[in-house]
Amino acid sequence: MDAFEQFARGGMQWLGLDPSDTDVEIMRYIDMVFGPEMKALMEAHMSDWWPENVFDPGRAPSA
Amino acid sequence: MSHAQDLPLREQAAGIASGDLKPDELLQATLQRIEERNGPLNAIVATFPEESERMLAEAPEGPLHGVPVVVKDQFQIPWRGPRDGTEREILPPGESGIFRRLRDAGAVVVAVANMHYKGGGSTGAQSAYGPVGNPWNPEHVGGGSSGGPASAVGARMVAGSVGADGGGSIRLPAAYCGVTGIKPTFGAVPVDGNVHGYSPLDALGPFGRDSDDTRLMLEALSATELAPGDATSMRAGIPTYFWDDVDPEIDAACRSVLSAAGWSARDVAIDAEEHVRIATVLHLGIDALPSFPDDVDSPEPLVRAYDRFASLVPAAALVRADRVRAVVRRSLAHLFGDLDLLVCPTVPAPAPPIANPTVRLPSGEHPADRANVRQTGLANISGLPAMNVPVGIHSSGLPMGLQLIGPWGAEARLLDAARHIEQATSREFVDAIPERYL
Repeated sequence: MDAFEQFARGGMQWLGLDPSDTDVEIMRYIDMVFGPEMKALMEAHMSDWWPENVFDPGRAPSA
Repeated sequence: MSHAQDLPLREQAAGIASGDLKPDELLQATLQRIEERNGPLNAIVATFPEESERMLAEAPEGPLHGVPVVVKDQFQIPWRGPRDGTEREILPPGESGIFRRLRDAGAVVVAVANMHYKGGGSTGAQSAYGPVGNPWNPEHVGGGSSGGPASAVGARMVAGSVGADGGGSIRLPAAYCGVTGIKPTFGAVPVDGNVHGYSPLDALGPFGRDSDDTRLMLEALSATELAPGDATSMRAGIPTYFWDDVDPEIDAACRSVLSAAGWSARDVAIDAEEHVRIATVLHLGIDALPSFPDDVDSPEPLVRAYDRFASLVPAAALVRADRVRAVVRRSLAHLFGDLDLLVCPTVPAPAPPIANPTVRLPSGEHPADRANVRQTGLANISGLPAMNVPVGIHSSGLPMGLQLIGPWGAEARLLDAARHIEQATSREFVDAIPERYL
């Protein structure tokens, strides 16, 4: 069992869900498709990326 | 004129207003056209002649008086709860915001249109009603998630329809089907009675054959006048990141149309653009979780696994996605300080086969969903209005589209720009009809 499968099965069990092999297989595919971008997102340097504290998607950001 | 549904929406409305077109005959002709053309496309999942006749009988005078339109299976209407592409009602029957706006404009809802299962894909290949076909080749996808509304307009079953766009779900099927579709600014059209009304990415909007019909529909849906203006001197930004992995024919078609438009153009970069796709996908997946708590145990393996995966995404990822959104929105606001619009291909490749919804790009073969959301997610996470304009037919025989993205609230400007493109290209692409319907 590799790290992804440990994460997927352990995570589902932690959530009280019964993991199936099909679940793990599909989740692995999702991770293959979007995993690299997710990793890049998690590793991006964001210390000066300030949040929008008053967020309205219908308007330009106020600051 | 061979059939009333070959008329543009605005001419249907004008014909009814002048008395040249009888709305009851138009309704029956429309139902007949749906009967004739829907089979291979599967764009329409339900018609309800009695309710449509009643709606017509009670229709007030308005800009769409007596005009038949179609709505996606994602909205409440008084006689049918939305199924959202699934086997069961997700919400009970009722009056959604878009239904009220259509009714108040005098329109007649003639059918409910097919869509990708739970709005979760850009192809329309998965639905409890079967896949949505493309009017230009029914063996290829009609797109998603609002594939049915786009395909119905492309096949001239109706001249106007309503969809929803949380990650490209109006613009992508519009491009695939060769029609015009606009995702307005977030909140411009009311979202009550929309299955996905919880989403900060989802905006509701219309499809039409061209910008004038789409404008008329959006005016009704937003209850706002969108007065036409001049678009001969636009300042266009070319966000190169969203052009760098696109089918060469689509790239060429989009550039050719931009050249014909005669606008000034310059290359631009958007801060954090490389994170737009994952930020969009994270929101699409995670925002839905509280609204559909049973999906983690769905009997549908894909839905169940997607929801389980989304449930395991670290909270830090969504916080980071929101930081991306903030940076992207600020960058866009800055760019629109001296630009009128951004332009890029709507879809990176033409509609793939239903049997294999993958696309071939310069970087290789990809699932269509992954490739498509890269082009369209920008307008969803930022809240911006964006639309598809048809720009030609690919050598595969399938349509291609250019995406116009404007600043918040600039729907009229986008429609002006689309109209300018139509005129600059002698309406060649908006008036194109699939050979099977000639």
